Amino acid sequence: MKSHYIFKSILAVAVIAMASCKPELKSITPSKGTADFSRYIAVGNSLTSGYADNGLYLEGQQNSFPLMIATQMKTVGGGEFYTPFFREDQSDGSGHVRLASFTATGLPVIVPVADKLAVRGPGPLYTKYTGELNNYGVPGIKLGLITFAQYGNLNPFYERLLPGVPPNNTTTYLDFVTAKPFTFFSMWLGNNDILGYATTGGASPADQPTPKATFTALYNLAASKLMMGGGTTAGAAKGVVSTIPDVLTTPFFTTVTLPTLLKTVQAAAPTITALWITTGTGTVRAATTQDYFLLTLSSANVIGTGAIPYGLAPQNPIESKWVLDKDEAAVVADYTNAYNATIKSVAAANSLALVDANALLKEYTGTGKMVNGATVSSAYVTGNLFSLDGIHLTPMGYSLIANEFIRSINGKYGSSIPTVDVTKYRGVKFP
Amino acid sequence: MKKILLGLLLGLPVLGYSQSFQVNLQGQKQTAMAGAGTGVALDEAAVFFNPGAVSFLKKNGVQAGISPLYLKTAFRENGSNITEYNKDKLATPVMGYAVFGNPEGRLRFGLGIYTPFGGAMHWNEDWTGKYTVTSLDLQAIYIQPTISLKITDNIGIGGGLVYSMGKVDLRRAVPLTLNNGQSGTAKLEGDTHDFGWNAGIYVKTVSGVSIGVTHRSQVTARVKDGDAKFDVPEALIAGFPTKFTAELPLPATSSIGFGFYPSEKTTIALDANWVHWNKYKELAFVYNNNQRVENTRSPRNYHDAAALRLGIQNQTTERLALRAGVGYAFTPVSEGYVTPEVPDANRVLLSAGIGYKASEHFNVDFSFLYENVKARNETNIETGLSGEFKTVAYIPGISLSYKW
Repeated sequence: MKSHYIFKSILAVAVIAMASCKPELKSITPSKGTADFSRYIAVGNSLTSGYADNGLYLEGQQNSFPLMIATQMKTVGGGEFYTPFFREDQSDGSGHVRLASFTATGLPVIVPVADKLAVRGPGPLYTKYTGELNNYGVPGIKLGLITFAQYGNLNPFYERLLPGVPPNNTTTYLDFVTAKPFTFFSMWLGNNDILGYATTGGASPADQPTPKATFTALYNLAASKLMMGGGTTAGAAKGVVSTIPDVLTTPFFTTVTLPTLLKTVQAAAPTITALWITTGTGTVRAATTQDYFLLTLSSANVIGTGAIPYGLAPQNPIESKWVLDKDEAAVVADYTNAYNATIKSVAAANSLALVDANALLKEYTGTGKMVNGATVSSAYVTGNLFSLDGIHLTPMGYSLIANEFIRSINGKYGSSIPTVDVTKYRGVKFP
Repeated sequence: MKKILLGLLLGLPVLGYSQSFQVNLQGQKQTAMAGAGTGVALDEAAVFFNPGAVSFLKKNGVQAGISPLYLKTAFRENGSNITEYNKDKLATPVMGYAVFGNPEGRLRFGLGIYTPFGGAMHWNEDWTGKYTVTSLDLQAIYIQPTISLKITDNIGIGGGLVYSMGKVDLRRAVPLTLNNGQSGTAKLEGDTHDFGWNAGIYVKTVSGVSIGVTHRSQVTARVKDGDAKFDVPEALIAGFPTKFTAELPLPATSSIGFGFYPSEKTTIALDANWVHWNKYKELAFVYNNNQRVENTRSPRNYHDAAALRLGIQNQTTERLALRAGVGYAFTPVSEGYVTPEVPDANRVLLSAGIGYKASEHFNVDFSFLYENVKARNETNIETGLSGEFKTVAYIPGISLSYKW
């Protein structure tokens, strides 16, 4: 009898213990620190808008890094966050690209996706967005243009956010984003001030780098205006700013190289040992490994074509628009460094949180880095970091950016915004 | 009987772990005493605990037992506010022993079937560490025919050949996005068949204290021609392997144990185990196609680790025995090497149990073991997975024995 009782008691204790046995970790107290996230706005360009795969489309917008941050901010008093989404029936937005297959030699075949465009007129102009707005990311915008009153007539991504139609738009970008009070901002501007020069091979007169002095003046202006939080009191809003990544480390410039081009050429013409290029100054010379070729050169399928084979003879060199020659690359590096020096000093002078996106993305060059067991690198297509355009990021890439912003904000303002789970976001979709 | 036991063992999905992927649930009496039993001749499970003590068992017998193991691990990525848990999965390591021969004679025989290594860790398919592992099922069942010789009235030696049958099923996500937006997956499955041995010496000293020293050899579990199943994008699948080979050392354990008998009814067992984990340097997979995936060599760099176990048994009445124990196991896993398939750390063991003699021949034993694994927060050197693990395990158990 006694043993029966003991046996039952032990069983009872065991059952109770097992039922309540989940191990607990120390709880985290949510805190907004010294910041106020009740209305967060995101100011920036394509990277802020969620642009990917050579276009702005709904899935990209849904995976923008500001939206990730805003969602996490809700645990520490963040308010609603509105993104100018394309409608579901126009989810391809501006149009984008996808990976369709690989060629026999393993090159990716990239094709356009334009089934559900949000085009409302020639230009093209895109379907207007009306309603609340927090993500002000405008693909293509340069810092150099944020005070340009006519900009709303030139950039359709900006135009779609404005009530007016061309040629009647006169609101500058900086006025537009500060029209309504806000408490917190992220500003990631400056990339396009040098990117356009780089991606056109330095060959476009319309896309010369923004002068350094102009950049500094406008960055200071933007920071001081944003810190007024849409009002007139300095310090009404707090914020985070970011350096711009060195575009020369992106797959747009690192995928097509002199060795890869020569290898392709030599498969058909083994005697060829040099490629000829036109430099930014108009000189024709043999390419070296210090010259950069654009990602788009390989899909253009021009090399070796024509009576005098394109690029294989000095009489018919590769045009300057496909090449960022050594000197042009030095210009890109010089401006990138100067812009980043400005961004860092403005952040320091105004006590803003700073993300060094340039340093962050450099960690993934070469063989890359392990992120929660996944290899992430800046390799084209397979690296998980960059989308198919080779410049903008994948959802996984944007989530890494979001976490860096979150860590920087938490570090500066003593808040406890939780990071996002990077592994929940995808890389390039494969067929 | 042997066939039934064997069938039962092979048919069941096994396990959990007790120090890294070592499992220490080889007998209900011993489990109730925190796993101590090297220096005492308690019952048929001596085939495992000390083959030298088998010849000192007063009766022949067979026993079969099971220890359903409920293990819960919490993980929180550093920076995140979300705690993730492994899936509920009851592992059921089983054990069976038989001892025969003439109890009056010097020579006895034994057979043991037990599971000294295993693991059953299942995370959600989309958890934050999915690219490191989503599930691991590992089991090594040892079958050990044993011979034990009483050299003198006070000294016994014994040894057994170990035949190990292993099974591994490791799954993880592959960081390539399928067209539907999901990650690819990999599943590595294989069997192992290897040999080892177990030997021990048991001494009854004049002071009344009994001493046991044993060594269980390393078994190197080799998977040859294992199946590698990659669910990855069609455009890439031709570059992925279909077969793999791998090796996992199931480390040697050296033990010394003491038995104290403060009264006729009370037995105290004290064990120290030294597990030679330093052989586990890396987990390497060699594939038959390296176009898309390199062979992997994941560093583990385990170091040797000890465990201390103290148990007490009191024969309260003629029919009833009460048992309790406490133990401490040091982790073999160095800082920076904790992995989610075996989120090991130093652990405290608390146990209790009862034995009931139902008749002259039949005995039933119950045990309950609680393991509290210390919380551990670190960043894995290989994968970069950074966060805090905390594990507890609750392991009830029962065995039935028939003695003659």
